[in-house]
Amino acid sequence: MNEQSSLPPVPLADSIDRAIQRIGLSIAWAYVLLVLVIMTQVILRKGFSSGLIVLEELQWHLYAVGVMFGLSYAQTTNSHIRVDLFYSSFRARTKHIIEILGILILVLPFVSVIFIHSLDFVHDSWRINEHSESPSGLPWRWLIKTVIPLSMLMLGLAVLSRLYRDTVLLFKGNA
Amino acid sequence: ADRVLLKTPIAFGSHLPALGTPIKWVSEQLPVMSDNTLKMKIYEPGKLVGAKEILDAVSSGKVNSGYATAGYWQGKMPAAALFSAVPFGPEAGEYMAWLYYGNGMSLYQEMYDTNGYNVKVIPCAIISPETSGWFNKEINTPEDLKGLNMRFFGLGASVMEKMGVSTSQLPGGEIFGALEKGAIDASEFSQPAIDKLLGFHKIMKYNYFPGWHQQATVFELLVNKDAWGKMSGGQQAIVENTCKASMTNAIAEGESMQFEEMAKAQENGVEIRYWNDTMLNAFEEKWLEVVEEKTAADPFFNKVWSDLSTFRKGYDLWEANAFLPRTTK
Amino acid sequence: MEANEILVIAMFLSFIALLFTGIPVAWVLGGIGVLFAGIGYLADIYLDTFTGLDFLTLGLVVNRLYKIMDNWILVALPMFIFMGIMLDKSGVAERLMKSMQELFGNVRGGLAITVTAIGIILAASTGIIGASVVLLAVMSLPSMTKQGYSMPLALGTIASAGTLGILIPPSIMLVIMADQLGLSVGDLFMGAVFPGLMLGAMYIIYILVTGWLKPESAPIPSDAKPVTLATLMNVLKAVTPTLALIFVVLGSIFTGVATPTEASGVGAFGATLLAAYNRKFNFKVMKEVVAGTYNTTAYIFAIFIGATCFALVLRELGGDELIESFLTGLPFGPYGIIFFILGVIFLLGFFLDWIEITLIILPLLAPVISALGLDINGYGVVDNPELVWFVMLVAMALQTSFLTPPVGFALFYLKGVCPPNVKLSDIYKGVMPFIMLQLIALLVLVFWPQLILWLPAAAYG
Ligand code: NA
Ligand code: NA
Repeated sequence: MNEQSSLPPVPLADSIDRAIQRIGLSIAWAYVLLVLVIMTQVILRKGFSSGLIVLEELQWHLYAVGVMFGLSYAQTTNSHIRVDLFYSSFRARTKHIIEILGILILVLPFVSVIFIHSLDFVHDSWRINEHSESPSGLPWRWLIKTVIPLSMLMLGLAVLSRLYRDTVLLFKGNA
Repeated sequence: ADRVLLKTPIAFGSHLPALGTPIKWVSEQLPVMSDNTLKMKIYEPGKLVGAKEILDAVSSGKVNSGYATAGYWQGKMPAAALFSAVPFGPEAGEYMAWLYYGNGMSLYQEMYDTNGYNVKVIPCAIISPETSGWFNKEINTPEDLKGLNMRFFGLGASVMEKMGVSTSQLPGGEIFGALEKGAIDASEFSQPAIDKLLGFHKIMKYNYFPGWHQQATVFELLVNKDAWGKMSGGQQAIVENTCKASMTNAIAEGESMQFEEMAKAQENGVEIRYWNDTMLNAFEEKWLEVVEEKTAADPFFNKVWSDLSTFRKGYDLWEANAFLPRTTK
Repeated sequence: MEANEILVIAMFLSFIALLFTGIPVAWVLGGIGVLFAGIGYLADIYLDTFTGLDFLTLGLVVNRLYKIMDNWILVALPMFIFMGIMLDKSGVAERLMKSMQELFGNVRGGLAITVTAIGIILAASTGIIGASVVLLAVMSLPSMTKQGYSMPLALGTIASAGTLGILIPPSIMLVIMADQLGLSVGDLFMGAVFPGLMLGAMYIIYILVTGWLKPESAPIPSDAKPVTLATLMNVLKAVTPTLALIFVVLGSIFTGVATPTEASGVGAFGATLLAAYNRKFNFKVMKEVVAGTYNTTAYIFAIFIGATCFALVLRELGGDELIESFLTGLPFGPYGIIFFILGVIFLLGFFLDWIEITLIILPLLAPVISALGLDINGYGVVDNPELVWFVMLVAMALQTSFLTPPVGFALFYLKGVCPPNVKLSDIYKGVMPFIMLQLIALLVLVFWPQLILWLPAAAYG
């Protein structure tokens, strides 16, 4: 797996990344919880004929939490997949410039659009105290929807950290 | 008036008989009736937005209209279920009577308004009963249901749970596999002509009727209120009346196509069963418990339920005397 | 050509061009979507197009994103990734691969064949490509590298074996196709079994032939011995626990203990038990598995999220109509039309992912195919046999789209888990022969519809 060690150190960016990783690694245990919830559901349903819709819903809640917060973590570990056909042979300086332009023109607009529009989305859900569409499902639907703006904030932060890192490296010219 | 394009994501594929075909019919009628000043472009489920996101998308103006059923919003507004299908509720005729000539429509719109949704609601299709589900064994007493794992949706699921059934709400595509492998023991989905598409008749032995949980289902066209306000009076009337015509069209289509599929299923060895009185009474008793909980928990649910119940009590006198008994079975 | 058609093509070309700059795929997809929403908005004002795109409309991305989050079927993805990383970090995978190699003795290609076999088995428990590709890669790539396999062969095998899951049931793709066309899921699932197995068998034959023609591409370990009863027993002892795990996962589906989605969780749990049984389980391993699952799942989903934005804007610009116009009013005979359609799907597969292609063209094509009046034998049991057959052809063509460069999702997922020294071009090179095999399989299915239709007829007759 791609490791962060491939990125040259830049103090401020490093501490932001480390913070995001620390938070991320605690959220990541949602997946262990997910394994346990699935096992519980299977045992309850087949063993005791009492599967629960709440557990079914909890499964995708946990998965969604893992996926959404993972985005910023994968950004700090530089894991997002690139087509490296030409990229791998670029000079470091070219890579920095591409990274900076890519973040400014593509990533930040994309993340901002999701963040801004998610606010209304969450607010509406919170205003009416949205519940699962199944009467026997989980309450507080707005809570899982809140994951969208929060995770986008973290992703935005991780992206800005990367922007800062590449800008510093570009001007330091240590290519 | 200016030309209007209604961009309409829909909650059911337009190929699904009676579930999705009515809105396609509406989209074909609108330009003809309006001399092309009014068009509707329908987007199949998921193309622009998923079925459960339609209300949000229309209300916020991301699209100007959408086609769904209010039952999808019962997590947002518990009373919404009552404008979609009511267990042991009215059949199509009585339902429409309440909506159009009782307080139904004003309560329906009030629900969206008071919950802050910027939409105009227009009932745009209604279908006759669904089947009550597919089983692999006969169900004669409530005991037979206990311990079953069943796919069931909405308010009916709460009733089934009170009957000792463990319910799940697998999406349409997962049901067949789960039934075939035995991950669930039984399932309901829709009317015979739709259930047939999912292939239940190939693996299940008993198809139970009547669908006590859904005697009639209403589908709605939601239009963003700002978009609605910009339409001319003529255009608004065309939309409203095309939808009203669609109610007739949908129920006629739905009524026309079920018996053939049921007969085919019988030929394939499916046994069609009618719930005995013990079972129907047991379902209704549990349903009333569910109602009690719902009315206690949500004032607006209570308001709509009371109004509907009052209307139905009045209607009873007519209903008990006006119709011939159903004796063909 | 109309202005919005030019915009659609410009969007495609910018996407491909930016992809090759090396900016992450997910962000290129999402960013291009946002940029072209802006361009569409300006075009409505200045070029008299009618895309209806603006900032508000773009907000649909959030609803679409949420639809990905609440998709219960996708729970299988992190769970299978969890299972794969657990098997890898606990050393279980390496032991399994080593034992299987012994089983092949002096026959070349043993590891690659093992990968294909596990790919087939995995395919029977999930339809999520990302999950299978990652699981196969983390399990087998280290062993194959160690043994000196040629990179293209190793990578091609993993990518192709990993995509079998979209064809062999359960398959989310077939579920969506059945839903779109009103076909029985059961018929499609059964119909896909032989084509899927046939494809797997063709992979294995290809690997054997390659090992025989180019021995250096699939070396055998220096200490390779001919297979004796003793090695057989040793291997059996070594692989039994792992095989048991695989059978528990599959068994839980086939006996109905779990749904396919839940079976993934059972697998993750089982892999953990297996690690504990082998005394390879401790807190450190657990932490690594958790972090790996978290990271890997995220970068795969990032692509889904970017793609949903891209697809939304492409659709609003009129991409659907453009593709539709290619496919209507074709001046060919029935088989000419079938081949033309499959050709278009194959080409679209270079750039678009299967779900977009399915949503755009399947509903469009169903009436066309029904009207061809082809006499396809459904044995009187399968409803709409010509459609079931045609859908399976489309499914096979779409499976290929996962492998075709430049936008091959299986290739991207594989790239994600490979060590940095593995280049995407190695992966491209590796999948070429497998793409040829897919095309051959497609031809076989065109001319022998029985391969598809016999099983559903027998199963539900
Ligand atoms: Na599969
Ligand atoms: Na491709």
